[in-house]
Amino acid sequence: MTFKLPKLIPAALALCCALAIPVAGIAQAKSTKSHHHHHKAKHHSTIPQNNGGDRDADNNGGPSDGDGNI
Amino acid sequence: MATSSRLLCGLVLAAALAVAGCGGTSRDAGHAAADPFAWLQPAHPPAGWKVARLPSGAASLAYPPGWQPIHTDPGTFSAALLGAHGRIHGYLNATPRSGAETLANWARFRPAHNHEEGDRSVVTEASATHLRFRAGAGSCVIDRYATVSARYREIACIVRGSHATTVVVAAAQPQDWGRLEPALRRSVATFST
Repeated sequence: MTFKLPKLIPAALALCCALAIPVAGIAQAKSTKSHHHHHKAKHHSTIPQNNGGDRDADNNGGPSDGDGNI
Repeated sequence: MATSSRLLCGLVLAAALAVAGCGGTSRDAGHAAADPFAWLQPAHPPAGWKVARLPSGAASLAYPPGWQPIHTDPGTFSAALLGAHGRIHGYLNATPRSGAETLANWARFRPAHNHEEGDRSVVTEASATHLRFRAGAGSCVIDRYATVSARYREIACIVRGSHATTVVVAAAQPQDWGRLEPALRRSVATFST
């Protein structure tokens, strides 16, 4: 029993490293998503589509035009 | 021996978990379907169509007989096939590039922009880059969305010509799409900037 314990240490380290990589990836993905959400909220200034904004078709329930700005 | 087997199983499990973790970060490879933009062959406008130029002269958009210019943003051009009570059956628009849209980000930018303008249920059906137009290259997306009063499907492209980069949009309500799709496609295929 006492002779098997040292052999388990490298294996345990390998397992920890292997698990750490995907866990770190998940944490990073969540961080990116959270940042993205914050970014969108900061710049969100939607013109109401009901006779709002510049009154062209896309602001009156019509199809969206090619304007890249809101 | 039993301990060695357990160690081996543990390492295999660890490796499998690591691989699974890496796989989870990969992006969707997209749909492998028939080319949704095979129809996009640069051509000249058909006889009888009117050709409108942007005020800047940077682009020209052809529209079929029966369609008419409608109110649009300054510097842009829009034409529509109108029904009763001004209902828009078909819609064409050309707008100079005005935001952060690029040929590279178009497939993400356009649907996101529609959503930001208040459209709901925005669904991307197809997208492509490196498409040929009459005087340049472009990226296109086909998507559908709902406004406060109607649903639309659209072909939206950003085209980089020799002098300007311009967005062209061709849209119709789903119930009119089958009837108007040939004209919408033709207008996009004949677009020049």
